[in-house]
Amino acid sequence: MQLLQLFAQENELIRQEIGLVILLAIAAMVAIIIRRLRFPYTVALVLVGLALSFVPNFLPFEVSSEVILAILVPPLLFEATLHIKWKNLRDDFGIIMILAVGGTLLGTFIVGEIVTWVLDIPLIAALAFGALISATDPVAVISFFRSLGVSKRLSILVEGESLFNDGAAIVIFNLMIGLAVAGTESFSLSGTIVEFLRVSLGGVGVGLILGYVVSYIILKNVDDHLIETTTTVALAFGSYVIAEEFHVSGILAVVAAGLMVGNIGTQNTSPTTRLTLDNFWEFSAFVVNSLVFLLIGLEIQISEMQPYLIPIIVAVGAVLLSRALIVYSLTSIHKRFTPAARHIPHPYRHVMYWGGLRGAISLALALTLTGNVFGSAISREMRVMTFGVVLFTLLVQGTTIEKLIQKLRLAEKPAQRTVQQRLQARIYAKRAGLQELDRLHEDDILFPEIWQAMSSIYEEEIRDAKQALGDHLLHYPELEQDMFLQAREDVLKAERAALSIAARQGFISDELLHELSKEADNRLAALELIKRVRNVSAEQSRNS
Amino acid sequence: MKSIVCATRGGEGSRAAQMAAIREARRSGKPLTFLYVTDTSSIANVEEVLLPALRAELNWMGRTLLQVAKQRAEAAGLLAHVKILEGRVQEEIGRFLAEADADLLILGAPRDATSTVFGDDAVEQFAQSIQSKTGVRVQVVRPEASALERQDGRV
Repeated sequence: MQLLQLFAQENELIRQEIGLVILLAIAAMVAIIIRRLRFPYTVALVLVGLALSFVPNFLPFEVSSEVILAILVPPLLFEATLHIKWKNLRDDFGIIMILAVGGTLLGTFIVGEIVTWVLDIPLIAALAFGALISATDPVAVISFFRSLGVSKRLSILVEGESLFNDGAAIVIFNLMIGLAVAGTESFSLSGTIVEFLRVSLGGVGVGLILGYVVSYIILKNVDDHLIETTTTVALAFGSYVIAEEFHVSGILAVVAAGLMVGNIGTQNTSPTTRLTLDNFWEFSAFVVNSLVFLLIGLEIQISEMQPYLIPIIVAVGAVLLSRALIVYSLTSIHKRFTPAARHIPHPYRHVMYWGGLRGAISLALALTLTGNVFGSAISREMRVMTFGVVLFTLLVQGTTIEKLIQKLRLAEKPAQRTVQQRLQARIYAKRAGLQELDRLHEDDILFPEIWQAMSSIYEEEIRDAKQALGDHLLHYPELEQDMFLQAREDVLKAERAALSIAARQGFISDELLHELSKEADNRLAALELIKRVRNVSAEQSRNS
Repeated sequence: MKSIVCATRGGEGSRAAQMAAIREARRSGKPLTFLYVTDTSSIANVEEVLLPALRAELNWMGRTLLQVAKQRAEAAGLLAHVKILEGRVQEEIGRFLAEADADLLILGAPRDATSTVFGDDAVEQFAQSIQSKTGVRVQVVRPEASALERQDGRV
């Protein structure tokens, strides 16, 4: 109690800092617990946040739309784009943009029409809701893609669409708010299209210019991993702020800047900087994601949702229907105009449909809905509907997407690879057991006869597991190549790490480190290419 | 003396093809060479700067695969040769068949290949093309063969 009183006496800043520390500690605990369970981390955070939302005044600060959009979203988008290679994005850029822009527009109108028709919400307000709920947030899905080893192409399709539809949804949402304020009589289709293009392309332009400056001037000429990493942080937040200052899309500015740095900037840096950038942004994204999903849970008031059960059900239905129409119709139209090799396979479409989760952007935009524009009753109804949809997509779609991916056989780890890994794990574990037995024996802790008996059983079990692995490889000889590729990657990484150690110890110069590291990086990139070609062949044979 | 060549690339049928080649070499007493062709043209859209590294990595993979094949032959009591070539797979195999004075080329086919006789499967077409160009008999082996042989205790 005294501790609580002490907290209460602290100034506002310290109280907020304590709140942040508690959130981080909770996120870390959830992460530790979830590591052993096959359950999405982000969904677990939302559930914990929901539970904590029952604690009165748990959060010592208010979560505003500005906090989410200006502080939490830029690092998330920047980190995601850093890892998207243009050469991967380029092949499906057409369909990604169709889904991101056309899909968001279509989604806005379908959801808006349903909501206004069923719930009698004024059309402009319903369209604003349609826009804010069209921004997909695939964090929970992408984490499954990574753990299951789903193809890079599907990952790029889902992630790419989300990155660009975030920007499109915000632009359309703001246009609707503008229309609501100015009145529909001021509406002009050409004016709206011009404004949409100005805000979108303006944002991309700001991001490209700033990304270019950082990539070509700073990352290329400054050889200091700390300064270079700091510059990327300034870029991630700066591109958002500057774009917003110019009244263009901050979100699209961050996306464009991240793509520029990820594709060009990192090519101009040393391996040390690349490693630092990777580690720093991976850590940042983890922290920010943890906060975002905890805050989603904390912001959603279950008790507030009960009176709005029907509007929530209508909104969920409208979102599911619009997503189905967007994904299946737009990919079918795209199919007519592209060669067979670029068609989106049916299993991909199902994952793109069910993986269209909603998250931080929808929540942030919903929090901007106050009584000023649409009236307090409608704003409150739309806020709760957004919470309901976000919660449904995270808890229902987020927890079932893994099953869908496996059912569609999109995981690149077929059963034979799992069997191979199980046998290897068994050998690895038994060897560790045998080593521990030897240690106990050497320390004279274990009676010799017992040591001998246990050792012989262990050796027999290792022999059996090796025999089983040999038999398995005989049935699936292609797994040998997998083993080779994995081992080769491991040894190349070890060689690369050894070079850094040699440079730190002064055996080799920085110039030589740079040269040899580049060589090692090229070897790793070449290996990645070989793996990709192999995976594409395997995927094609599965899909055929 | 005529020789046997087994072209390998580490795919589904590679082990079955290697075991069939070892068995045939032991039966006939002909020398056996395992062949791997480093073909960078098989990987599309490679940046110019990555080509040397890609060539080196494919070569590394080839050396490992050939070493594994050689060890398998040694385990079966046979001393086999290994050869790595660089270029387009079909051209290099054809050239090497002449150089090694081979009368039999053994290739592995993917699992569930349509047939072991020349059908419309890609490996079968490839085999047919080499056979018609070089006059050397080409035998295509499926991975199931290897597993069946193991069960029968033949290998």
